[in-house]
Amino acid sequence: NPSANNTDMRQQILTRKQLQELVKQVDPNEQLDEDVEDLLLSYADDFMQDLIEGACTLAAHRKSNAVECRDVQTHLERSSNTWLPGFGTDELRP
Amino acid sequence: GTQIRSCKDESFLPAMLLQSRIKATASKYGLEDCSPEVAAMISHATEERLKNLLEKLSVIAEHRLDVIKI
Repeated sequence: NPSANNTDMRQQILTRKQLQELVKQVDPNEQLDEDVEDLLLSYADDFMQDLIEGACTLAAHRKSNAVECRDVQTHLERSSNTWLPGFGTDELRP
Repeated sequence: GTQIRSCKDESFLPAMLLQSRIKATASKYGLEDCSPEVAAMISHATEERLKNLLEKLSVIAEHRLDVIKI
């Protein structure tokens, strides 16, 4: 099973500093507890891993040998009803 | 002439690290190639998701009632 959970083997991509900068953008007076930061960092990591694996599954299903933007877009739309504009084919959407 | 009015796209997550994570995962699925746009997209999606969550958390924290026991 390729989606086996191997959280401990993964290298962390989002750093604490980047998260804190994002918090400042949202609310300059906001302060996060350290354990809340840890939780959000691990959530972000799981979110991106899920997204990558979802996109890979779709690409493999298309029998393609490359992951494309539309795979990410489709997974995002189906899993969290999110649409990211400005990538790949900019089809007109209702 | 043409004038570009949009600002440069900056990646929220470190592109190199993200790219290698994508490549490692993709190879497990037998996929060989992935464009840098895929990494940019995943970075944007993660940023958007976190921002959304932080906005909600910020409002919730402001409205929280702490029960102080004496």
